[in-house]
Amino acid sequence: MEKQPKSLPPRWADRLLEWFVAPHLLEYVQGDLHEDFHKQVGQVGLARARCAYVWAVLHCLTPFFIKRQTFQSSHYSEYPNPLFTDMLSNYLTIAFRNLWRHKAFTAINIIGLAVGLATCLLIVLFVLHELSYDRYYANADRMYRMTLYNRMGEKEYNFAYTSEPAGQALLHDCPGVEAVTRLRDDGAMLVKNGQETFKEENVAFVDSNFFSFFSIPLLKGYKASVLIEPKTLVLTQTTARKYFGSADPIGKTLSMGNLGVFRVTGVCADVPSNTHFHYDMFGSFRSVNQGTKWLASGAYVYLLLRDGYSIQQVEAQSKGFISKYMTSEIKEFLGITLPEFLQKGNRIGFGFQPVTAIHLHSDLDDEMEANGDIKYVYIFSVIALFILLLACINFMNLSTAGSAGRAKEVGVRKVMGSVKTQLVSQFLTESILLTFLALGLALGLVFLLLPGFNALSGKQFTPGEIANWRMLSGTLGACLVIGLLAGSYPAFVLSSFKPITVLNGKGQASLRSGWLRNTLVTGQFVVSIGIIIATIVANQQLRFMQNKKVGFDKEQVLVLHDTQVLGAKLNAFKVELAKLSSVNRVVLAGFLPAGASKQSQDGILFRNGSRTGMQLTKSYFVDEDYLPTLGMSLALGRNFSKAFPSDSSAVLINEAAVRAYGFKTPIGQQLSITGDGSEGSKRTYTVVGVVKDFHFESMHQRIAPLVMFYGGDNSQLALRIQTDDVPRLLTTIEKRWKAETGNPFVYSFLNERFNTLYQSEQRIGQLFGVFAGLAVLISCLGLFGLAALTTHQRTKEIGVRKVLGASVTSIVTLLLANYLRLILIALVIASPIARYTMSQWLGDFAYKINVEWWVFAVAGGLAIGVAILTVSYQAIKAALMNPVKSLRTE
Amino acid sequence: MKKTVLGELEELVLLVVAASTEDVYGVPVMEQLQRQTGRSFTVSAVHTTLYRLEEKGFLSSSVGGATAERGGRRKRLFALTEAGGQALLDSQQMRTRIWQAIPQGKLQLLGLSDTLL
Repeated sequence: MEKQPKSLPPRWADRLLEWFVAPHLLEYVQGDLHEDFHKQVGQVGLARARCAYVWAVLHCLTPFFIKRQTFQSSHYSEYPNPLFTDMLSNYLTIAFRNLWRHKAFTAINIIGLAVGLATCLLIVLFVLHELSYDRYYANADRMYRMTLYNRMGEKEYNFAYTSEPAGQALLHDCPGVEAVTRLRDDGAMLVKNGQETFKEENVAFVDSNFFSFFSIPLLKGYKASVLIEPKTLVLTQTTARKYFGSADPIGKTLSMGNLGVFRVTGVCADVPSNTHFHYDMFGSFRSVNQGTKWLASGAYVYLLLRDGYSIQQVEAQSKGFISKYMTSEIKEFLGITLPEFLQKGNRIGFGFQPVTAIHLHSDLDDEMEANGDIKYVYIFSVIALFILLLACINFMNLSTAGSAGRAKEVGVRKVMGSVKTQLVSQFLTESILLTFLALGLALGLVFLLLPGFNALSGKQFTPGEIANWRMLSGTLGACLVIGLLAGSYPAFVLSSFKPITVLNGKGQASLRSGWLRNTLVTGQFVVSIGIIIATIVANQQLRFMQNKKVGFDKEQVLVLHDTQVLGAKLNAFKVELAKLSSVNRVVLAGFLPAGASKQSQDGILFRNGSRTGMQLTKSYFVDEDYLPTLGMSLALGRNFSKAFPSDSSAVLINEAAVRAYGFKTPIGQQLSITGDGSEGSKRTYTVVGVVKDFHFESMHQRIAPLVMFYGGDNSQLALRIQTDDVPRLLTTIEKRWKAETGNPFVYSFLNERFNTLYQSEQRIGQLFGVFAGLAVLISCLGLFGLAALTTHQRTKEIGVRKVLGASVTSIVTLLLANYLRLILIALVIASPIARYTMSQWLGDFAYKINVEWWVFAVAGGLAIGVAILTVSYQAIKAALMNPVKSLRTE
Repeated sequence: MKKTVLGELEELVLLVVAASTEDVYGVPVMEQLQRQTGRSFTVSAVHTTLYRLEEKGFLSSSVGGATAERGGRRKRLFALTEAGGQALLDSQQMRTRIWQAIPQGKLQLLGLSDTLL
C-alpha cells in the first residue's frame, strides 16, 4: 500500500471503466480522465478529485461507450480479437457440414420435429382462439349473464335464459347493477326484400343499448336512437350487403316473417368470431310481444356490474325476486301458494355467470349456440404438449445417438485445446440450427394444412393469424428453448468425454447403456398408444350413436322446411306430392326428432292416484298420419284418429313419460297443461295411447318424457319416399314448390339430421385420428433413426455372432426383442391411463359403449406392428451383412 | 443524403476545435468549453460529442503521444475537416440572416443596448 503513489484515482472506478467501456475507446477516455484527475488534485485536493473522478466515470456508463466495435469501424483497434460472432460463424459452418454429411439422419430429425411443431402451432392457434371468446368487450370482467334454475317435480332445469321482467327488476332492485341488456331469439325467420326471400337463422331481438353493451361498433345509424322504436332493425355489414348491395340500407325496409315490415335504422360491424353468439340481424326488443309474466317468458339477460360491487351481492338480492314478484303468478299458474310450492320441493332460482366463461364453461339448456368446452381445450393442449414432447424426445434421442460417432471429433478438439464451453456451444448451435430449420418447414406445413385444419376444427383461421409478431416471436422463443433443452443433454454428455479414452478407440459407457434412450422411447410409445386407444374408443362411440336404433325409421324420409308459407295452398300441395309415384306418404311434421324444428314445452299437471305433480315436458303437435309415416309404434292404446271427434282433447305420451308420471295403467289418465297462465289456456287431456320410446335428442341425454297433442303443425312436411333416384325426385318437388311460391326451397333428410347431431363427436374422432397418425409417425421416425444407429454401433457384435454361427433370424430377433420389450412396457403404462381418460369422456353420454379389452390389444398390436416394420429393415440389413466386412470396420 | 444537423453542444465543441491552433484532445476541449461558457462538462459528454462529430465527417482524428499523468495512455487528437469548417460557416450565415431579420430598434425598445450586436 505504501508503495502506491499518493495521487491515484480510485482503483475500483478504473476497474469498472475498464470492464464497461469498449476496448477501442478505453485508452483515450481513460487517459483523459486521468489527466483531468491530476489537474483536479492540484486544484481542489485529493478527496474531492477522487469524488469527481468517480462521478466522471459513472457518466461514461452510456450505450455509446458500451457498444463494442463492429467490423466496419475496426480502424480504432490495431489488433482485432476474435469476437463471439467469429466463433458463432465457425460453429455454424461446422454444424452445416455435419448436418449435410448425415443427410438421412438430418432429414429424419428435421421432419419429425417439423411435424411436431406444425401440429403444436395449429393446436395453439385453436386453443388461443377458444380462450379469446368474449374477452374483447370494454367491460368484459364486469359482465354477467343471468340464468334460471328451476326444479319442478323431480326434474331440474338450468336455462341459459331467464324471465323477461328479471332485467328491469335487476336494474330497479340491485344498486350494484349498472346496466342491463336483453336479447330474445325467436328462431329462424323468412325475410323478404321485394321479391327475394331468404331464410335467416340468426335473428335476435335486442334492447337498444345492446351494441354499446357488447362493444359492437355501429357503422351507420345513431347509437342513442337505434332500435328504440318498435319494428326497427339493425343489420350486420355482411347482411346489409347481401340484401342491399352497395346501396345505403338506412331507411330501407324488410319484411320479417309474420312480424310485419321492419325499417333498417343502423348497420353494425359483423359479430367477431370469438363471441358466444353470432346474429346477423337485430330487431328492436319492442317489436316482439313483451313477456310480463315471470313464469311464462324468456330472454337472455345480461348485466354490467358497477365497480366495487360483487356479483354475490346481486345474487343474494335476486333471491328476493321469488317472493316479491312470483307469489301471485305461482298461485295463478299452479293454483298453490308459494309456501306450498316450496314445500313440495320445487325451487326457482337465478344464477349469474361471467360472460367470459360462457363459451367454455356453460352448458345449460337452450344456449344460443353450441358452446365450446374447456375439456377439449385441455385435451388439445395436452395433446399438443405430448406431440411436441414426442418430437423433442426424438430429437434428443437422435442427437445423442448420432453424436456417438463424433466422440473422436470431441477428443481431437479437446487435445487441440478446445475448452468445454466451446464444445457445449458447438453442440447447442447445431441443435438450435436444426430446430430453426424444422421451424421453417413447420411454418410451410402450417400454411399448407390451414384449409384442412379449418374444415376439421370449424374455425376460419387466416395465414395472417400465424404471421403476426406475437405468434411468431412466441414461436421463435419456444424453438430456442426447445433447441437448448433438446441439445443440452448431448452437448453436456459429449463435451465431458475424456480425450484419452475416446482417442484410444474405446466407446463411452454412458452411450452404451442407453437407459435414458430406452425410457424416452417407452415414453413416446406410451403417448402414441394412448392416443390410438382414444381414437378407437371415440370412433366406436360415434359409430354406436349413429347406428343405434332410434325407435323409428329414419331412412328415406325427406323433410321440406318452411311449408307454412304456402298457407291455404298447403293442403293441395300435400295431396299433390302424395300422388308422386316415389312418395309413399306425406305428413305435416312441424315437430321432428333431431335438428332444426319447432320446440315446445308445457307444464304438465298429472294426477297419479292421490299424488299430483307438475313437470315441464317436451311436447309435439302431430296428426293421425305422423306415427305411421315415421314408423313409430305404439306400446299401448291407439293412435289419434279422425273417427274420434273427442281426440282434440286426447294425448299420446311416450314410455318415458309413463315412467316419469308413475302411471300404472296409462290409458285413460288425465293430464292438464298450465298454459301461459290465462284461464283459457288451461286444458285437460286424456291419454289414449303410449308411444314406444324413440330418440328425439342426441344420445348425450336419456330419452325424455314427451307428450303428443293432436293437431299437425304446418311448418314442415315429412315425406316417406321410396326411390333410388333422389335428385330427380328433388327437382320434381322443387319445380312444384317454385310454381306455388317464391320462397326458397329448403329440405333435409331425417337420417342426415341425426348425423349432424354428432358433428362435434365426429370432429373429435377425426382430430384424434389425425393426432394418432402424427404421434405414430413421429415415434416411428425416432425409432427408425435410433435403430439405424444402434445397429450400426453393434456392427462388430453382429459380425462376431455370425462368425460363431448365429442365423439371420436369431440376429433379427435379438435386435427386435429389445424394442418389443419397450413397447410392451409402454402398453402396460398407457392402457390404464387411456382407459380412465376415455371413461371420463364417455361419462357425457347417456347411451355409451363399454371400453373392451380388445381395444388395448389392437392399439398394442398396431404399435408393435409399426415398430417391427420400422426396425426390421435395419435389423435385417445388419443381419445379412457379410461378417468379413463388419469385422473389418475400424 | 439527409442534411446533418448540428446540436448545440456539437456546435460548441466544433468551434473550440476550430479555434485551437493545433490538434486537440478531450481535456483541453473540455477546459476551453468550461472557460467560455461557464458551464461544466464531463469527459464522457465531450468524448461522445467528439466521436459523433468524427462520424459525421466534421472532424478527423489521429493518435497522439502519451504523458506520465495519463498513466502512459495515448491521446486521440482531433482536427477540423473541410466539411466541419463548411458546417460552421453555414451555421454562422444562417444566424446572421436571422439576426438581420430583427426589425430595427426592436431591441432598443426592450431597453437593450445596440452595442451587443
